[in-house]
Formats: sequence, structure tokens, C-alpha cells
Amino acid sequence: MAREECKALLDGFNKTTACYHHLVLTVGGSADSQNLRQELQKTRQKAQELAVSTCARLTAVLRDRGLAADERAEFERLWVAFSGCLDLLEADMRRALELGAAFPLHAPRRPLVRTGVAGASSGVAARALSTRSLRLEAEGDFDVADLRELEREVLQVGEMIDNMEMKVNVPRWTVQARQAAGAELLSTVNAGPSSVVSVEERGGGCDPRKALAAILFGAVLLAAVALAVCVAKLS
Amino acid sequence: MAAGPAPPPGRPRAQMPHLRKMERVVVSMQDPDQGVKMRSQRLLVTVIPHAVTGSDVVQWLTQKFCISEEEALHLGAVLVQHGYIYPLRDPRSLVLRPDETPYRFQVRLWGAVPVLLAIYLAKKNIRKQGTLADYEKECYDRLHTKISHAWDLVLMQAREQLRAAKQRRKGDRLVIACQEQTYWLVNRPPPGAPSVLEQGPGRGSCAASRVHMTKSTDFYKQEIEYCRRAMGRTRVKSSVCLEAYLSFCGQRGPHDPLVSGCLPSNPWISDDDAYWVMNAPTVAAPTKLRVERWGFSFRELLEDPVGRAHFVDFLGKEFSGENLSFWEACEELRYGAQAQVPTLVDAVYQQFLAPGAARWVNIDSRTMERTLEGLRQPHRYVLDDAQLHIYMLMKKASMSPPSRALSAHALPTLTLSQGSAFPTWLGPPWPLSCQCSVLSTHRVQRRRTGPDHMLKKGQVSI
Repeated sequence: MAREECKALLDGFNKTTACYHHLVLTVGGSADSQNLRQELQKTRQKAQELAVSTCARLTAVLRDRGLAADERAEFERLWVAFSGCLDLLEADMRRALELGAAFPLHAPRRPLVRTGVAGASSGVAARALSTRSLRLEAEGDFDVADLRELEREVLQVGEMIDNMEMKVNVPRWTVQARQAAGAELLSTVNAGPSSVVSVEERGGGCDPRKALAAILFGAVLLAAVALAVCVAKLS
Repeated sequence: MAAGPAPPPGRPRAQMPHLRKMERVVVSMQDPDQGVKMRSQRLLVTVIPHAVTGSDVVQWLTQKFCISEEEALHLGAVLVQHGYIYPLRDPRSLVLRPDETPYRFQVRLWGAVPVLLAIYLAKKNIRKQGTLADYEKECYDRLHTKISHAWDLVLMQAREQLRAAKQRRKGDRLVIACQEQTYWLVNRPPPGAPSVLEQGPGRGSCAASRVHMTKSTDFYKQEIEYCRRAMGRTRVKSSVCLEAYLSFCGQRGPHDPLVSGCLPSNPWISDDDAYWVMNAPTVAAPTKLRVERWGFSFRELLEDPVGRAHFVDFLGKEFSGENLSFWEACEELRYGAQAQVPTLVDAVYQQFLAPGAARWVNIDSRTMERTLEGLRQPHRYVLDDAQLHIYMLMKKASMSPPSRALSAHALPTLTLSQGSAFPTWLGPPWPLSCQCSVLSTHRVQRRRTGPDHMLKKGQVSI
């Protein structure tokens, strides 16, 4: 069904854009490295692929004159969400370009801003590329060629947005969003609050921690069973 | 270091120049050898590196720029207000405390779009389970009214961004969340807090410099044009320029209401508009300061309506004021209506320039020839040469005596004889030898005698 397909593509694109946004936040900071730049490149290439396919699909559907009114409304809603997401992606790419040019990683090296971010971002990139884990090894001067490519890609995305506006005319004000204000509060079952100034220690969801906890629990259980057996034997 | 979403095509984003200077300061603070000393922030179990104390920042600024502590404190406060450094304990108050309060740096981003703010507020809503501050709730509702069509995107992105953030360590997550909070505190300050991003009217017209990785021919053409224009600019030695600047400031200092205060009181503060009434453009009795200003330069005298009126008076008494009348007529031509240009030019010619005219002005022959030729096709600026000549003549003639003597003489009489209808001049007229020489013979008879005439006018007061 075309609608499900478009929705799935849009969800994937949305996820990749969110991950890219998250990665761009650390460019220029203390966690900036050639690996980060390579992760950024892979993420944005994936995002662009998804954008192109979603765009093609949605354009084909919306240019079809014989579409029912309610179906058209549905697709227009998806279209508005997609074009907004594409704008966000373009803005993030421009940001990455400016920051990447301002903080070159090859010699002569400028000191990076010590922002306190120290960990690796491979988890975020892996999520963006829908793989389990990601291990990248970038060469020493990866960012030089990467910036040129990035500039080209920024222009490409800009062109894509312009083409979209030319081909399909969707007036934004006629589109009704499905979710109302405050809808995010209703489905916060698995969101998990972690407030900004909280000082409680919570598992970060990383596998090593869970494994460690499981091993500890198993050991305690074994010890309890052994004690029970000893007590039973003695008595 | 400062980036933001693309500006709408055709309008350059105005990045304020002071931001670049601040960025340079912040980057030099990051130097591993000569930068600010870094400590670690210790939360219950997490340790986050790269924290600085307020006192370290102030001390570094004092040493690096050799400034006083007060100035360093102010500079640090400006950095905090713009979000380059943010406090860790009390994130909402962007002030710099010169003690052990911890701070941290961040890479500043610029450009706040409503969709981004909506995503941020939605994320905060999810994280805090709906307990937003009042102004944030208001903001949220307003955004929902404005961009309700994009609300699906807002919520989708908010959820995905939170899930992406979960892939990071706890410490990193905290840092990034703090950074985002500071960003929005600076870009959309809560009600009552001053906004540092406000630009006054007519400012911020510097064009944005886009990052160019591949230099195309357009880029080089722009560079060539820019360099050519830069070479064509006139240059003055800074020693000369600074001396002139100093003397200007010294001369005008007492006259500037911001620098030396204004009497009787500042109308913006005391709601009393006596100051404006006293300094209205056409007022019967100008203030002492105003009259002193006429002595600074000829232009000051001419530009002040009261001054000009007095000058006209003076010229009328001493010798014919046709120069000034001609100058005024030229001004009228330049700034007047287009339809009246031919008639005005004709009138000026008949009155001032034709041989044997009633109020003939003396212009040198070359300028006269040029002007007469231009009069065949009259336009607004046809009398410019002649006007400039007459202006220089008046100025040279009046360089030391008239303006200064005018003010020196007018000063005691104008300010004291408030009741009299006309202020009177004291003292002998000054010798205007250069002016006399250009006067044609038939006008000499019209010169009045000096002191006797003035004294006869009566009301002399000192």
C-alpha cells in the first residue's frame, strides 16, 4: 500500500535526520575527531538516499490527478512533514559545513572548544544507519575532502527542495496535523524521564552495564542457593 | 564557530561583528598551554571534565589583555550573556560570578527557527512530564497556533532526538541538554530578561560571509571587485586622524548631552521637556552653549536656523547680504520641487547673475562662464559650482571674525537681553579686507557706518 510505504520511508528519514542533528551538535567540541566526521558523512549520505526515494514516491502520488480527497489530505500531511524534515536536514548540513570549516582537524590545528563531551558517538551513527554497531577508522586528512563534498551536497539538497516546490503545490495552511498539542505526554510510557539536573544514576541502556548487572544477580542467586543447600545439609 | 540555518535568499544574514571577536577570545581560552585552567565537575557518580570557575575566567582575562579586574568581569559577563560560557549550577541566570561557581564552554550556534523551538519544547515536555515553566507553556501554545500544520513533524523529531540521545553516555547527555537549554535562553529569553540579540534600527547590514570550499569564478570576481574598491579608498595617517579626533572630542565634549549631562534635566528621565523647548530650532533666545557652537565652524553657523538668521542680520547691517541670499537660493534650487527648476533658475539668473542685476554676486570669470553655459539646459545642480565658490568666499571672509566674533558679541547680549526684540552687537566691526576688495564700487556706498549706527540702535547691555 502506497501510504504505508511512504510512512515507513518518512519514519526512516526522520530517524536519520534526528541522529544527524545530534551528531552535528558535537562538531567543534572536545569530541570532534576524524571518526566523527566520517560518521557524519555516512549518516548524511543515508539521509539523502532516503530523501530522494521519499521525494520520488510522494511526488508520484501527489501528481496523480485521480486521487480521492481524503487520501490526498493524508499524503499532503506526509508531504508537509517530509519537506519540514528536509529543511531541518539542510540547516544541519550548513551548520556542519560552517563549523567544520571553522574547526579544521588537519594541520594547522586550532584548539577545539572544550565542551565536556567526551564519549564516542558511534552508537548514534549506528542507530542512524540501522546497524548494530559501527566501527570506523578515518584517515588523518579525511575532513578536507569531506568538506568539499559537503558543500556540493548542501547545494544538491537546496536544489531538491526547490524542485519539490516547483512540482507539487501544497499550501501549508490547509494541512491539518494529526497530533494535537501535548500529544507527546500521552505516549511517554517508554520515553523515560531523565531531567537535566537529575543526579540519580540510571542505567544508560548500554549492553555492558546490563550484562554486568545480570552476572551480579546470577552470582548472588547462586550464593543464596548454596547457602540454602548448606543449611539444609546441616539441619 | 557560529552557524545557523540558511538565510532566505536575497537577504544577507547580518552576523554582528562583535560575535567574531568574542569567538576569537573563547578559542584562545581553549589553548592547552595558555588557556584557562580546566577542572572536572563531579555529580553523584558521573564525572564531566572541562569545567572552569568564574574566578579563573576573570583572572585569565585580566592577564591576557592586561585590563583591570572590573573590565575583565564585564567582558566575562558579556561572554556568558551570549552563551559562549554557561553556568552549571543555576542555568537560568546568565551572570558571571567571580568565585568558585563552575562554568563550561560551548560552541555557539546562531539562527533560531520556530520549528526548532517547538521541537525543543516538545522534548522538554516529554522529559519533564509536562512541568514546563509558565512562559514556556505560553510559548508552546503560541507556536502550536502558528505552525500547527507542522506539529506531526515536531513530535516525530522530538521523540527521535530523545531516542538518539539515549545512545550516549549519561555525562554527554547532560552536557548536550545543558547546551541546548542555554542556547534557547539566549535566543528566546524569558520575559523580563534583556535580549542580547537585539539590534538597533539600521544596524547589522554587514553581509554574511558564506563558507566557500570550491572557489568558482564568481568568487574570484567578487574578490577582485572588493580589492579594487578597497584600493580606491582614501587613506589618512592614523596620527593625523587621531589628533583631529581628539581635538574634535575636546571641543565638542562639553556640548554633548550624553557626555556632560544636559541642563535643566534629561527629558527622558525627568519627563520635563524644558530642554527641548529651550533648544527648539527657531527660538527667540538661543542658549549659551548653542551660541558657542557657532564659533566652531562656519557650517555650524549656517546650519543653525537662529545662527543663520543672525548672520543674515549682520550681513544686512554691515554690507549687502547678496552672497548669503544667493547661497540660500541655490539651496532652494537643489532641494526644491522638480517642476520649479526652470523658473527658479531663471529668477536666480535675473536677480544674481545677469550683468547689472540688482544683487549681483561676484564670481570669478571661469566659473561664471561655466555656469552661464549650463544655464542653457537648466537642471537641479547647474549652480553648484557658483554656490561652492560663494560659500568658500563667505567662509574665508568669515573664518576668524564673523562666527567667533558673532558668538562672542552675541553671547552677552543674547543671553542677557532676553526681553529685547533684537539683540544688538557690541564693539567695532572687524576689518574684512578680502571681502572689501571684491566688492564692486557701486556697492561701497551702501555700506553702513559701524559703531555709531550700532550704538544708535539702543539697548546695549553687557
